Amino acid sequence: MNAKPFATLARYGIVWVTLALFLALAFTTDGFLTGPNLRNVLDQQATLLIAASVATLTMIAGGFDVSISAVAVAAPLVALRIENATGSVVLAILAGCVFGLLVGVVNGSVVSFAKINSFITTLATSFIVFGIGFLVSDRSIMRPESEEYRNIARTRVAELTTATWISLGVVAIAWITLSATRFGRHVYATGGNLEAAKLAGVRTGRIIVLAFALSGLAAGLAGVVASSRAISATPSDDFSFVFGVIAAIVVGGTSIAGGTGAVWRTLLGALFIAFMVNGFNLHQIDPIWQRIIQGVVILVAVAADAWSRNRRT
Amino acid sequence: MADSATHVELRGISKRFGTTQAVDEASLAIKRGSIHGLVGENGAGKSTIGKIISGVYSADSGSMLVNGRPESFRSPRQAFGVGITTIAQELSLLKDRSVADNVFCGVEATRFGFISRRETHRRFAELTADTGIRLNSEPTVGSLSVAEQQLVEILRAAARGAEFVIMDEPSARLSGTERDQLHRLLREMRGRGATVLLISHFLQEVLDLSDAVTVMRDGRIVRTAQARDETADSLIEAMIGRQLASNYPPKALRTPSGESEQDPIPALRVRGLRWPGLGAEHGLDLDVHSGEIVGIAGLVGAGRTEFVRAVYGADPRVEGEIQIAGDPLIRRSRPMLGGGLWRNRPNPTHAIRHGLGLIPESRRDQGLLPDRSLRENVSLPHLKRTTRAGIVARRVERILVVAAVAGAEVRGGGLETPIHLLSGGNQQKSLFARWMVPGLEVLIADEPTRGVDVGSKRSIYELITSAASRGLAVLIVSSELEELIGICHRIVVMRAGQFVAEFTHPDLDEAQILRQAFGGEPTLSFSDRTAGSK
Repeated sequence: MNAKPFATLARYGIVWVTLALFLALAFTTDGFLTGPNLRNVLDQQATLLIAASVATLTMIAGGFDVSISAVAVAAPLVALRIENATGSVVLAILAGCVFGLLVGVVNGSVVSFAKINSFITTLATSFIVFGIGFLVSDRSIMRPESEEYRNIARTRVAELTTATWISLGVVAIAWITLSATRFGRHVYATGGNLEAAKLAGVRTGRIIVLAFALSGLAAGLAGVVASSRAISATPSDDFSFVFGVIAAIVVGGTSIAGGTGAVWRTLLGALFIAFMVNGFNLHQIDPIWQRIIQGVVILVAVAADAWSRNRRT
Repeated sequence: MADSATHVELRGISKRFGTTQAVDEASLAIKRGSIHGLVGENGAGKSTIGKIISGVYSADSGSMLVNGRPESFRSPRQAFGVGITTIAQELSLLKDRSVADNVFCGVEATRFGFISRRETHRRFAELTADTGIRLNSEPTVGSLSVAEQQLVEILRAAARGAEFVIMDEPSARLSGTERDQLHRLLREMRGRGATVLLISHFLQEVLDLSDAVTVMRDGRIVRTAQARDETADSLIEAMIGRQLASNYPPKALRTPSGESEQDPIPALRVRGLRWPGLGAEHGLDLDVHSGEIVGIAGLVGAGRTEFVRAVYGADPRVEGEIQIAGDPLIRRSRPMLGGGLWRNRPNPTHAIRHGLGLIPESRRDQGLLPDRSLRENVSLPHLKRTTRAGIVARRVERILVVAAVAGAEVRGGGLETPIHLLSGGNQQKSLFARWMVPGLEVLIADEPTRGVDVGSKRSIYELITSAASRGLAVLIVSSELEELIGICHRIVVMRAGQFVAEFTHPDLDEAQILRQAFGGEPTLSFSDRTAGSK
């Protein structure tokens, strides 16, 4: 009858859905609501959360960064090359992050100054970065020299792995950056209405460059953490990581059109997908079916976004 | 009740959106072969009525008869089937396709599934001959002016044999001549037996064109009467339900004669401004003093918007100097290697820091962040003031926004209401609120009341007048000459990229200004005149 409660319900849809899924799994599935299982879910989501929480900013600024995959593949190779050469883990992490940052700056500059569609730009740079990965690694798997490298992600602090702690830290920083800083406001403005943002004094070019730079940085960090978990890094040209990232962002309810969304949404989106997969695994559902169901869930999320957009105009 | 002359009849139509009753028990009969005006404030339900007739919305209750037969459309396509079509406020054309492609989009002339160029040409020639619209079929629609694009829309309706055309604010974006052309066209359409439902904020236009006029208020039909029995005042009275003394607030007196003595430094000084694409030889000069309201009149395409955007730094300028209260906004552009691209590129950030504000031509495309709150929309240009160590101090921001929103009298929602939920008038006022902040020296408003209802118009005029009386310099671009005459102390007329004349209150004569705008007779250019007076 009244549209307001319904609108509120729809607005926080991802909260209710994630909560419902969590409760449903907790009551129906043995082994779900246990410390080790939940800790494991968080640990497995760490790299995705690191990349996705920052990529949320880029998406809200109106950009679409598919180079996340390439950076996450190549950055740890750069990091391990440095580690193998110097033996310093700190330098390695730094190198991986700076590499991601540089790729992001290039992406953002091309998008904002050459005015090329960000999807196409980052698709093109992806191939370049994948290539760099092969060059840096000599086309072979790379392993850290020191035992220390594995500690980046695998140290346990207060029951949780450092990978989890890093991911929670990045989520928190991204969340605060987007919701409380001037830069965050400018990100919303840039993605919401580029021309209006410009006329209101927002340096939209800089905002776009910065958003892509941060997303590259986070992808680099995510790659380093992933390589630490695996204690190796392999060159490839596998795009699948970014699809998981985008799925988490979109299922959370951040619009691919830019201008609206939030980091907490991405956190919930990632958790929702992770719980779902975890539930499937605990119920031993065929992975083929898992994919199909995941695809349907993403479609439903995007359709819900499109539907709520159409309703208001 | 409905005789054979009734084309479309609504009986007790109601439509609700969420909590708002957009249309409430509306009954209306529109005669075949007439122009029927529909007026009312924004949010009165006019456009909703149009959309119900054209099948965009379906009514919650009530019935509709078309040619005496009950109809209830579930899509515009169905309405189309019985010859009903809309020409909307925001045109919906394929900008990259040719005129002919757009006109025949969906009803292409084909042979065995392939487009027949010859047949297309023949039909296009036939259409233009029939309607008297002179338009080339080849150019892409994006290269045409807004007025020409509208003609394409009309041709499109004609190509589909539309007999009932709903025009929602057709002249809102047209200049004087273009408007006259449209009016002639509408009369011709009527002459051929078509019915036009004309939704418009321009009361004089409605009175001139229409056979009958319906007034709406708060979703209800106030009355339907013969246009000859109505006046602009009677319509306004019916629309707002009270008597309006005057449309314009009294002008705060200024003595332009003594300017040079009492106010040597203007709030805004523009000298020799040129922008890319300005064909004229001279750069443009203009002074606006503190407390003064200056209007720029002229036809669409005369360069008015280009001028204010160049002043604000929204678009690049070739050369020229701009001073805000004597403080140069930017140096005369000088080619510099590399650094020049960055350092001398004007931008709005710069202008805002100097106390210049712009309300752009289109609030939807250039003004608002539709999904964000009123608070965020208002504070956006001023976040620097409310930020401590990168973090926006919500409390400081709130204080700034509360004062600004109160100053501009934005109503219809709280600070956290997404701005797209406000009415058009309040959205426009929120753009004024954006600049109701301490430290603003010059406010430029491009079409400040476009697409705004009568009540909001009046309060925007009051807002501008009172801001000026507090010492703000205001520069207004408007295609509504009446509005410029109503509120400005001084009006400069722009034609073909030059200021060609200047008129000062109380000698603001509509006919003379129009003559200058259209270029009736040669005159001193404004820049010559200021140069001569020195």
